[in-house]
Amino acid sequence: MSHSAAPMLKVDRIVKNFGGFRALDGVSFELRRGEILGLVGPNGSGKTTCINVISAIYGINSGSITFQGRLIGNRPPHLVTRLGINRSYQSPRPFQSLTVNENVTIAAAYGCGPRNAPDLDAILAFVELDGVKDRIAMELNSAQQKMLDLARALATAPSLLLVDELAAGFNPSELTKIAEKLRSLPAKGITLVVVEHLLGFIERVTDRVIVLNAGREIFEGLMSDAVRNPDVIRVFLGKSHAT
Amino acid sequence: MTSPKTSLNRMLRDLCFVTIPIVAAMLILPSVYSNQLLLFNFVMFMTLAQGLNVIYGFTGILPLGYVGFFGAGAYGFALSVMHLNMSPVLAFFAAGIVSVVVGLLLIPLLRLSGAYFAIANMAASLALYQIVSNPDLAPITKGPYGISLQGVFSPSVSYACAVSVLALSMLAVSWLRNSTFGLSLQAVREDPISAATAGVSVARVRAIAWLISAWLAGLIGGVFAWHISVFYPDSVFDLGISISVIVFTLFGGSATLLGPLLGVVLLYSAYNIIGIGVPQYFQIMYGVLIVVLMLFLPNGVMSIFTSRGFRVP
Amino acid sequence: MLIYSLIAGVLFGLYFTLIGIGLNLIFGVMKLVNLAHGDFVIVGGFFACALFAAAGVNPLATAGLLLVPMFVVGVVIYYGIVRRLRLSRDAEMLSLILFFGVSKIMEAAAGLVLGTSEQSIPSFALGAGPMQLLGQSFPKTWIYAAGVSAVAVIAVYVYLYRTKLGILTRAVMDNDDEAVMTGINVDRICAIALGISLMLAGVAGVFAPFMLGSITPAAGVDLSVAAFAVIVIGTLGNPLGAMLGGIIYGISLMLMQTYMSSWANVLPNVLLIAVLLVRPQGLLARQVRSA
Repeated sequence: MSHSAAPMLKVDRIVKNFGGFRALDGVSFELRRGEILGLVGPNGSGKTTCINVISAIYGINSGSITFQGRLIGNRPPHLVTRLGINRSYQSPRPFQSLTVNENVTIAAAYGCGPRNAPDLDAILAFVELDGVKDRIAMELNSAQQKMLDLARALATAPSLLLVDELAAGFNPSELTKIAEKLRSLPAKGITLVVVEHLLGFIERVTDRVIVLNAGREIFEGLMSDAVRNPDVIRVFLGKSHAT
Repeated sequence: MTSPKTSLNRMLRDLCFVTIPIVAAMLILPSVYSNQLLLFNFVMFMTLAQGLNVIYGFTGILPLGYVGFFGAGAYGFALSVMHLNMSPVLAFFAAGIVSVVVGLLLIPLLRLSGAYFAIANMAASLALYQIVSNPDLAPITKGPYGISLQGVFSPSVSYACAVSVLALSMLAVSWLRNSTFGLSLQAVREDPISAATAGVSVARVRAIAWLISAWLAGLIGGVFAWHISVFYPDSVFDLGISISVIVFTLFGGSATLLGPLLGVVLLYSAYNIIGIGVPQYFQIMYGVLIVVLMLFLPNGVMSIFTSRGFRVP
Repeated sequence: MLIYSLIAGVLFGLYFTLIGIGLNLIFGVMKLVNLAHGDFVIVGGFFACALFAAAGVNPLATAGLLLVPMFVVGVVIYYGIVRRLRLSRDAEMLSLILFFGVSKIMEAAAGLVLGTSEQSIPSFALGAGPMQLLGQSFPKTWIYAAGVSAVAVIAVYVYLYRTKLGILTRAVMDNDDEAVMTGINVDRICAIALGISLMLAGVAGVFAPFMLGSITPAAGVDLSVAAFAVIVIGTLGNPLGAMLGGIIYGISLMLMQTYMSSWANVLPNVLLIAVLLVRPQGLLARQVRSA
């Protein structure tokens, strides 16, 4: 795991409004190359919105997002993909009428930008879908669809991977395997941001976490410190639990 | 479809087993069957069906006014011959260019969704017809009085040209069926946001398919003008042509190479055998066919095979 | 001239609103485009012509007679065809084509039964002669048509905003999945909406021979496009929006016919495209529909 001087991703006071609702209210953080950053918070805190604006599904109303020195705030999503950012979706979105292989082939063909296309067979083996390479995506079960979604993101050879609530729907032994897989990615040159509800999973996967609440970050540091922080306890468990 | 080699193989197979036989058949038939105009119409509808297939079959965008490109091509040919004194072959290329230009002008419509786009496109085609047939523009387009081209009539050459456009349309569909570009179109059709995340420039690939589709219709429109030499604006901007082509393609099965061809062969033959006498009876049958198709077999005859796992060219 | 055009534009605009509002209801509630809507209008017109020619029946009476049959036809079409269609994956596009098929059937059937020549009704059927309005004189028939249209639009507004059924209808318009989950019988609401839509089409049809001069089976498609233009300019789902759209449409049409008459027929199409490109959500709405 290498750490370079300048942050790979710098999110600076981003604001995102949906009509009257302020989903992100000045979120700021930095991401160093090669680390795994967790993004946690109660429902509605803005975790997924954060992912959505970084991957350019939504634009931002103010603030800036800088990736490897370039501003990416309001660019079209396919350009951001080609720059090297990709993500998995909370509800997986593979192309249902195409096969597993076709799904990753498209991503590799269009999303790599200047980078070399990765070995698709290796990626499918990594997500354990190589046995169903020629099955139509619609026929896969929901766990496999999540893995296909992840494979599709990996097929564009991203340098930054945003993982949105991957853990839901897996049993404990599967989660252990997935946690290992995610932890192996920085060695292959992929930096991660992991959005998650399941705090146990976050603890196993990430180096440090950021806790969001109501569109603002309220804590940044190690998970083990987060669970002792009174602000964090208050937003997750309610006032009576905080000391 | 893992490697380029497989898709090239499939395209070659399509070429040998579908495209070449059909082209050969259409070229040989005039010597055994005397009604060349009817054969020409078959070639024309097959081309239009494949052209529609390019846009509807692969992107799900339905141009109710597809005939507008056909008319644009026909008038492009006619105006090039009348005012620019071009030879028929050059005018034929001009026809293609005119329809692509019209396609470019209509690109902003592509960001509209489903029904809005379909109706806007229909309105665009109607508007084009109304502009072309307006008496004020008669000095240029001959307005409602129709076109009558002198000195270009050559049925055999124009027929051969039509068949070559048909071949081109089939190559285009075969390519889309077996290439990554074609896959990207289907991805965009399914889920544009997910496709964008996969790196596909949604606007760009849609525009490319749109322009190819427009170009094919324009080319065959130009050939129509060449072959027939005399026509009125409402024959080349007739919305009925759009709808017939849509029904042929849907009936046969879009997004396949064989589907539109099957649709044209079956339905257009039926029309010629049954329909010419009392047009209303055929219109009713047509309407009922459309309704039944949409309710029970929306993916066409080919879907009977593809739903069982067979791969259809 | 200008004042005449403007007032005539409002009169015609109200009439087009009547045509559009039925389409609006279906599109808003079921997200389906009834391309056969114009043909239903024409059928109403043909009934008016036929009943007048046969027995001198006043067209207004025909409108009343048509109300129940049209409603029943709407409900039957819903349960017979549309309900099944809504279950498929690409319902919007399939409905477009399917209703085009229905349009063809109706056009052909009308042609077979009534012939393809133009039909009209002499204006004394409704009340011949001109009427003065703000210093200009217009045919009485236009004023009656506009009046009835305005009443119909207000009636729809009252239905949607003041009756229980109407409020449920608006719920379905907003989000039919949620409507189902709150226990609303969505099928019944949709069937009633389709029935009302055809009722409105029938009433509009009765005035068609007077407003358009004469009617033929083939005129349905142009009316459908005009209706679509009206609801797009105004706003989807809001009957008052449709009225705004209709009036704008009517005035534009009248102005074109007065000042650039040979190009007047292009206006509806160009207007539709322009509105869809510049402000697709219409003038009053909050929701944008883009791909």
